This record gives sequence, C-alpha cells and structure tokens, in this order.
Amino acid sequence: MILIQIAMLLGFALILLGLYGALTNRDIIRMIVSFTIADTGVNVVLVSVGYLTGREAPILDTIPVADAAARITDPVPQALVLTAIVIGLGVTALMLAYAYRLFRARGSLDISDYTELKW
Amino acid sequence: MVSPLLILAAGLGAAFLLGLLRQTSERAAFYVTIAALGFMGFIALSWTVGLALGDALPVMITTAGTAPPFAINLFMGGMEAALISVVTLTGLLSAFYMRKDLLRLGRRVMAVLLVLIMALSGLIMTRDLFNLFVFIELIVIASAGLILLSRDTRALGAGFKYLVVSQVISILLLVGVIFTYHANGSLNIDDIPARPMVFTGASLAIFLVLIALVLELKPFPANGWALDIYESAHPGFSAIFSAASGTAAAFAAFKLFDVAGPAWLPLATGIGIVTFVGANLLALAQSHDRRLLGYSSVGQIGLVLMVIGQADILGATLPYVAGGILISHAVAKSGLFWLSGLVKGRELSDWAALRDNPVLIVAFATFIAMLTGLPPFPAFYAKWALVHALMANGAFALTAAFLIAALIEAAVLFRWFGMAIKRESRRAVVVNLTYEAVVLLAMGTSFVLSWIWGAASGQENLITLVPLLFALLFLPLDIFPAKAKNLLAIAGLVVWFALSFHGLDPIRLVFLIIMVLGGALLLLASFHAEGRRMGFYTPAMLMFAGMALLITSETSFQFFAAWEFLTVGSYFLILRGHDSEPHALSYIVFSLGGAFALLAGFALASGGKFTFFVSELSEIAPQVAPYVFVLLAIGFLTKTAVMGLHIWLPGAHAEAETDVSPMVSGILLKAGLFGLFILLLEMGHQTLYGIDLTVVLVWLGALSAFVGAVLAAFQEDAKRLLAYSSISQMGYAVFGLALMNHLGWLLALMFAINHFVYKSMLFLAVGGVKERTHTKLMYKMGGLITLMPYTFVSVLVGIIAMSGVPPLSGFGGRWIFYNAIMSTDLRLPMILVFMSGPVGFLYLFRLIHSIFLGQPKDELRMVKEAPFWIVAPQMLFVAFLIAFAALPGMILRRVDGYIGQIFGDQPLTWSGRIVDSQFGTWNPVAIWGVIAVVFITILLLLIWMNHNAQRVKQFNIVFSAERPFKPQTTHFAWNFFAPYRKAMGFLEAPIATGFWTGVSNALHGTAEFTRKFYTGNGQTYAVQLLLFVVAVYLIVLGSMGGAS
Repeated sequence: MILIQIAMLLGFALILLGLYGALTNRDIIRMIVSFTIADTGVNVVLVSVGYLTGREAPILDTIPVADAAARITDPVPQALVLTAIVIGLGVTALMLAYAYRLFRARGSLDISDYTELKW
Repeated sequence: MVSPLLILAAGLGAAFLLGLLRQTSERAAFYVTIAALGFMGFIALSWTVGLALGDALPVMITTAGTAPPFAINLFMGGMEAALISVVTLTGLLSAFYMRKDLLRLGRRVMAVLLVLIMALSGLIMTRDLFNLFVFIELIVIASAGLILLSRDTRALGAGFKYLVVSQVISILLLVGVIFTYHANGSLNIDDIPARPMVFTGASLAIFLVLIALVLELKPFPANGWALDIYESAHPGFSAIFSAASGTAAAFAAFKLFDVAGPAWLPLATGIGIVTFVGANLLALAQSHDRRLLGYSSVGQIGLVLMVIGQADILGATLPYVAGGILISHAVAKSGLFWLSGLVKGRELSDWAALRDNPVLIVAFATFIAMLTGLPPFPAFYAKWALVHALMANGAFALTAAFLIAALIEAAVLFRWFGMAIKRESRRAVVVNLTYEAVVLLAMGTSFVLSWIWGAASGQENLITLVPLLFALLFLPLDIFPAKAKNLLAIAGLVVWFALSFHGLDPIRLVFLIIMVLGGALLLLASFHAEGRRMGFYTPAMLMFAGMALLITSETSFQFFAAWEFLTVGSYFLILRGHDSEPHALSYIVFSLGGAFALLAGFALASGGKFTFFVSELSEIAPQVAPYVFVLLAIGFLTKTAVMGLHIWLPGAHAEAETDVSPMVSGILLKAGLFGLFILLLEMGHQTLYGIDLTVVLVWLGALSAFVGAVLAAFQEDAKRLLAYSSISQMGYAVFGLALMNHLGWLLALMFAINHFVYKSMLFLAVGGVKERTHTKLMYKMGGLITLMPYTFVSVLVGIIAMSGVPPLSGFGGRWIFYNAIMSTDLRLPMILVFMSGPVGFLYLFRLIHSIFLGQPKDELRMVKEAPFWIVAPQMLFVAFLIAFAALPGMILRRVDGYIGQIFGDQPLTWSGRIVDSQFGTWNPVAIWGVIAVVFITILLLLIWMNHNAQRVKQFNIVFSAERPFKPQTTHFAWNFFAPYRKAMGFLEAPIATGFWTGVSNALHGTAEFTRKFYTGNGQTYAVQLLLFVVAVYLIVLGSMGGAS
C-alpha cells in the first residue's frame, strides 16, 4: 500500500515540478524538457493507480490464463500508459520541431520574444 | 447504410495511402484527399438523412469484437451524424479552399488534414474516456501541424503557445481520466454514474475531466492562445478550427456533462455565460477582422456551453436549441473565415472591397444575420426556445446577461457590416473562383438549414413565407433596371394587400392600409431612381414583408419574427444613405435591444409555451402581467422613439435616401404604435409598485411630444427637423393611447393616419429640394417658391395639416385631441401636450419661411422643380388630405364604432358629416366653407390693395459695413429661434445622448482595458489557464458549501 502512495506522491511531485519548470523558464527548450518531466509524472500516477500490491505484470505468457484474474495487476492503466507515452513522444517531437522553426525564423528561443500576437 | 467506422477508416487509410504516393505527385495526393473527405462527408450525411427520416436506427459500434467496457465502443445517433456532417463537410470545403497551399506543402500536410478531420469525427462518436483523450491529442498534433499552413510567420508563435496550453490541458485530462477509471472501474462514458458535487476523489476526478474538456472550448478568459491562432492561421484552417473543432469539442463536453449529472450543470452555465459575455465585450475593441471572428467564435461556443448547462430545463429540446446555435455558428463562422481570404487588408474597413462583388456582400449579410440569430436562420428558433425555457424557469438574470451580450455581439457585427458598405476600400477584392464558390455553398447551406430548423420548430416555417420569398426574389432580379423592379414591388404590395385584408378588425385594417398600400404609394417616388439600384429592393421588401406579417400575426412567434424582419430590412435600407453609417448602427442596436425586450416579454407572458397567441396577453397571471407590460412597452417605445430611447431616430431618418426617409418615418414608426395598440388593447391598465403604468406612458408621451417639438424648432437641417418632429408626433400618439379612453384612441389612430400622410409628403418635398439644391441646411436655401411651386404647395398643405389649423385633417386630429384631453384627469401632462402645439408651429413655420420665402441664393437661381416621380406622390397626398379633411367620416366612423365596442361608450355622435361630442361640434364641410370665405375675402382685399405696390428687386438693398466673416451666422434664417433658445435651450441638453454615449464609452473602455490581459506570452496564457481551473474549483467548492 505504502508503495502505491509513494509512487503516486512522486508522480504528482513530478507533475508539479514539471509545470513549475515549464511556466517559469523562458527558454523554449527548457520548457519542453519540463513538460516531459510533467508527462513522466502523469505516467507514474497512471501506473500507480492500476497497481495492486503483490501482483505481477499482466503478461499472459508466463501466467496461466485461468488464474490470471487473481495474479496480475490491472492491465488497463498499463495499456493507457503505453499510449500516453507514445502520444507524449509525438507532442514533444512536434514541440521540438516548432522550437527549431521558431529559432530559424527569429534567432531566439525566448518565449517572451513571441508576443506580437496579443490583445 | 455504410458502417460509420468507415469514416475513421477512410480518413486514416487515405492518410497512409498518401504516404505511399510519390513525393512529386501532389495533384494526385490532393484528389485522394478530396475523395476521402467526400466519402467521409457522404457517410455522415447519409446517416443524418437516414436517422432523420427513420430509415435507420442509431447504432452502437463495438471494436475488437468485445462489448464495452472491455473494448472501445462508438455511437452513431442523430446528433452525432449531424455534427460529423458539419465537421467533414467543413473539412472538404476547406480542403478545396486551401488547394493552393496544400499543393505547395505537399502530401504530408494533406495527411495531417485527413487525420484532423478523422480525429474530430472520432471525438464525436467515441464513448470511451481514454479514446476521447487520444482523439483530443491527435487533434492537437494535427492542428499544430496545420497552423503552419499560414504564410504569416507569427503563426509559428501561435502554434507553440497552443502546444504549451494543450500540454497543460492534457495533464489535467489524463489525471482526471485515470481517477475516474479508478472510481468506476470502467473507461466507458456510459458507466460513469451521475455524481453529486461533493469533495470526494471521484468528484474531483470528474471535475478534472469536465474542466479539461471545457478548456478545449476556449473559455473566457483562459483563451488567449486560441485568439492568436485565429488571427494568424490560414483562413481555411481557421474555418476548420472554429467550425469543426469547436463543434466536436462542444459535443465532447456535452457527452460528459450529460453523464456527470445535473449537479455539474451550473458549471457549464457559469463558464458558458461568462465566456459569451466576456468574448463579445472584448470584441468591441477589435479592429483586426480575423481576431474579431476569433472572439466571436469563442463567444458562440461559450453560448453553446451555457445551453448545455440548461439541459435540465430544456429537456428534449436541448439538441434543437444547442444544435441550432452550433450549426449557425459553424456555417456562418466558416463562411466568414472563407470570405476573409477574399479581402486583402486585415482592418475591418478593408472589407469594403467586397462591394466589388455584390454577391459577396449578400453572403456577408447572410452570415452576420445567421450569427446574430435573426430570422429565418436556425439560431433564431434556438434563441426563441432558449429564452422561453429560461424565462419559464425564472432564470431572469441569465436571460438578461445572454440578451445583453447578444446585443453587443450584434453591435460588433453590424458595425463591421456598416464599414464594409460605407467605407472606401484601399485594395480590390481578391478574384478567386474557388473561394467564391466555397463561400456561396456555405450561404446556400444556411438557407437549407433555415428550412430544416423551421420545419422542426413546431411553429411557422419562416423561410416558406411568401412575403419573405418575394423579398428574396429581388436578389437574383437585381440585375434588372430599377424601374422594372419597382413596378414588380408595387404590384407585389397591392396583391398582398388584396390577399390579406379580409377579416381584419378596423384598427388592423387601418395599419395594413398605411403599411402596405402606403408603401406602394411611396414606392412611386422610387421610379425616380436611375440604373439598377442594386441592394434597394430586397431590404425594402423585407421591411414591408415584416410589416404586412406583423399586422396579420396571431401568435407571439409570428409577431416577433415579423418584427425582426422589418427591423433588419429597414436597417439595410437606412444604411444606404450617404452619411448614415453611424446612424444605421445606432438604429439597429436600439431596435434589436427593443426586440430583445419584446422577446423577453413574450417569453415571460407565455410561461414557457412555444405557441402563445397575442390575444392571450389578456389572460396572463396578475403577478407577472405588469412585468410583461413593461418589457413589451419598452420594445414598442424604442420603435416609436420615445424620449430617452430616441437618439437613433434623427440621424437614421435624416440621413436616409430621399424615398427611404418617408418609408421609415411615415410608415415604419407605425409598427411601434401598432404594437402599443395591441398591448393596451389586450392588457389595459397594469400596476407596478402602486404606479399605474399607463400614467407613466401618458407622461412619456407628453414629454416626447413637447421636447421633440422644441428640439425640432432648433434644427438647421430640414430633414432632421422633420425627424425630431416625428418624435413629437409619436409622443402625441402614445399620449393618446395611454389615456385609455375612447377619444384618446381615436386621437392616436387619427395621428397614425395623419402622420403617415404629412410626414411622407414633407420628407418627399424636402428630399426633392435636397435633390436639387444638394443641401439639407435651410439657411442655405430660400426663395424657392417660384422655382419649385409644386413642392411649395405640398409643404404648405403639409404644414397646415400638421399644425392642426383648419381646414385640413390635422384640425380634425386637434379637435378629437382637445376633446380627449378635456376628458382626462391628468392635468400636468395635458398642459405639456397642449404646449407642444404652438412649439410645433414654430418649427413648421421655418420649413416654409427658410426654404421657400425670402431671398433666393445666387447658386440656387437656376434650380428646377423636383423630379416628377418625387412630386407625383406628394400631389396624391395633397388630394387625399383635402378629401380626408372634408370627409373624415369615411375612415373614422368605422374605427370609432370599433373602439366604442372596446370601451363600451360612444362619446361621438355622427350625424351625416357632422360630429358631435360632449364639448362641441365639428362640421368639416362648414369649416371648409368658413375658411373658403375668409380666404377669398382676404385675397380680394389684397388684390384690391395691390394696385399701388412697388416691385422690389432682390438687390435693392445696400450692405454698408464690411463683408461678414462667417456669412451664415449673419443669415437671419440661421439660429432662427435664438430668443426661444435662450428661454428653452436647457431642454436641448443632450441628456439621453450623453447617457447612451456614456454607456457605449464605458463598454469600449472596459473592453480596451480588459483585453490587455492577453499579453501574447505563451507562459502567461498557461498560467491564466491554471489559475482559471483553480478559481473555478474554488467556486465549485464554495457553491457546495452554500448548498449543504
């Protein structure tokens, strides 16, 4: 039980840390890194929600299907985490591509230099 | 039916297929994209039609061969099919629209477009929470990709801000999703139980999911990122972002609110109305067209969210109402974004370029009418149903906020339209047939949707009304010469009168004659116009259609729809005047404000019933009746321009075209009067806080009569003088009506007839003078009596009639008027009204004196008589006035009998042509005789005295001193009534104008100040987003505390 709570706390700490970093660093690359930290935090939270103490990973090659329900952890959050990781990767890649193009266009990676659209 | 899954499969499959094509075959890639989008649109449309006609049943699609919650399931019902149609068709049209840029950037961007449309469709269909998240992320990635389509380098920054904000939203959503799963053991949306708003983990989880989906709707004020995208993205993409993405996100939010239970609805209501009000208010300060459209998009989606929050009171009508607003928004907004691609400049006034192509102006007007919820478009029905439901459930503050914000939105959009019509464009319109075709398709769709919503309304289907279709017929006919169209218009009015006058009571008949036959008569003056006169006949006939339908309307719905028709038609008509841009705007804002008061009044009166007969007004519960009375009276008094609500009138009537001024003054004002007739007829005396509301009306009428006359006397502009005089005359009529007795009503009706005749005549006469002298300022005229004799005769007859001097019909009016005020107890307003008579004479005298008498000006020495077609109707009016004066009985007697039935008395006795009352006798024929004898005697006397008169040439006088610096200030006709001004000038203090200017400035100031909030910094936007979430959560917690 305590393991789950520690994992969940760690996950939320990572989310807050990541958000703090993303919202205080003006450098676009640092912002992107911060978001990946926050994403990792979310993934830790996802896994910790589905974890059942003392159970095994839901891989049916090693566990007989018959007693799977009693021996494996909840597989759904794990599947979700996989998807979330993939999506996180896609978004991070896109943000990095944007960072590259922003730098090419303006020669700056400071987010506060891109405020000509406002009001 | 094709499986709806193919919508997703087609999008995804085509996107992969594009990857297999050769790099260089962009053209083939484009056709694959179009084919895929077309196929997706076809499936969605076929499902929509099938489900609507009952040929198909809603279907639940399971994936992976397993039932939910073990696999993702999708649902295709009526709402889903309709909204996916919107999404896919917007995508298809935008793909055509962006053809050049898609070809430029190649197959990869086309794949991204396909993925976006696929993901939006999936977002609508899915019933799985995590799948929802996946589709949202796909939308984010695809949108961020498509933002790069724009050639505007600022779009890069906007796209990055969007990604930053999306990251924050996805963190919230994912945490919410996993804890919702934890609480319910299922990711299926339908397995989420309705939860109360309490402080538990499960509630917090559903809060996070809801707020994340709400954040996707760009709620005010956490929406700076979206506005930046709207401003900088390719208009084709903005159309998708606004119409398709907005639609899908709104539906996703709806799905979750639907299962979360009624406890969460106030969240949607609150955020929705704040967004609708905030976005429209801030739009006031915008001068960039696409950013303004962005604000408007945000506002409309906020409105949809607000409607979703009314799920408990709307019940089964929710899809109809929310769908009406959403689809109107989607079609109009995408249409406007597509239009914006045809305009080169980005200032609002640059849209004047559209005037190069009148069809585009029609499209622009259609989209604006659609957005502002004017009939016959779907949002009109939705607005009607929404306000009825809100008022029936006592949500008065919410209704007020909604209507005020809707009014601000209308002001923003119509100000923009006014600029497009009146400003000069610096750059020509873009010529691009694809763009135009896409815009016109959207416009055509808007009329099809109008038909569908009308057919489903349970009310009259407005788009099928013959008068409306007749007005719209003039759009294609606009290529023909004006004279031919004029003939058709007159014939149409006469035929409509012949068809509709049967069975009307005498009061309605009188109004129908004034409005429809009077309109035909005034259209004679329009024969004067040369060329095609594009854009005149549709608005004019729309206005007349509104008036004709108003008179024959039976239900409050018909009445209100007719009211909006005549308002919109007259707005477009007034806008045609040379300097009328600001005046037309203030006209439409006041008129729509009045119309909204009517809407609220009818909604309150009906108690939520959608079909409410106007005659039922007499039966409503006494506790709401006074409020209904106040709301309806405000609506009608706005139209009659009572003091305080009058500031739109002088400009609107004075700046209109020569033949439009008499229409909007002589005829249109009567619509308000007709409304008051109906209101007082059905509701009579009402008391609020111990005050008899009819007494308030008496005072308002008397004040308008007096102050209007004083203001008229101080005008230098002849048309403005007549406009102020209308305020005064309408004041008389309101006064008479509010007296609530037989003679008062007869007086009001007499004024309605007389005012129509002499105000039309005088406006035509002054308009004719203006046509020749090219000025409306009276001190610049003079001595025109010999140059324009016919016009002089009509002005002379007009002012004799109007001032109530015997023998013309005005005297009859006065006679009834004196009888009426003698029979009332209200002495003070009576004195006020009595005093307005002589003041009226002051301003009327100026018309004769300054225009026709005195010294002719050098530059006006060669002026000719006014054009034949402007003089002709005046002469008909002169003949009518003389006949009506001699034989008032022909109309009045029937009306008098009818009013007698209402009040159950008969104070006038008609014997032959002589009318008797308690106070005296009126014998029109005898008066004619007396006047004729006096006149002839004096004439003979003058002729006899004339033998030793000396003819004085014009320059037989000598100026001794130097030339005056400012000649007009020494002209005796300038500031003619200076002594009176010294005495009564305080009445001229622009109190009402000052008040309304103050309101307008305060709103603009707030908008200007508040929008600084959008600093443009992506981090600030993200912080605002988080603070917004925290603030909303605290408010939710607070409201829980209040509830428990």
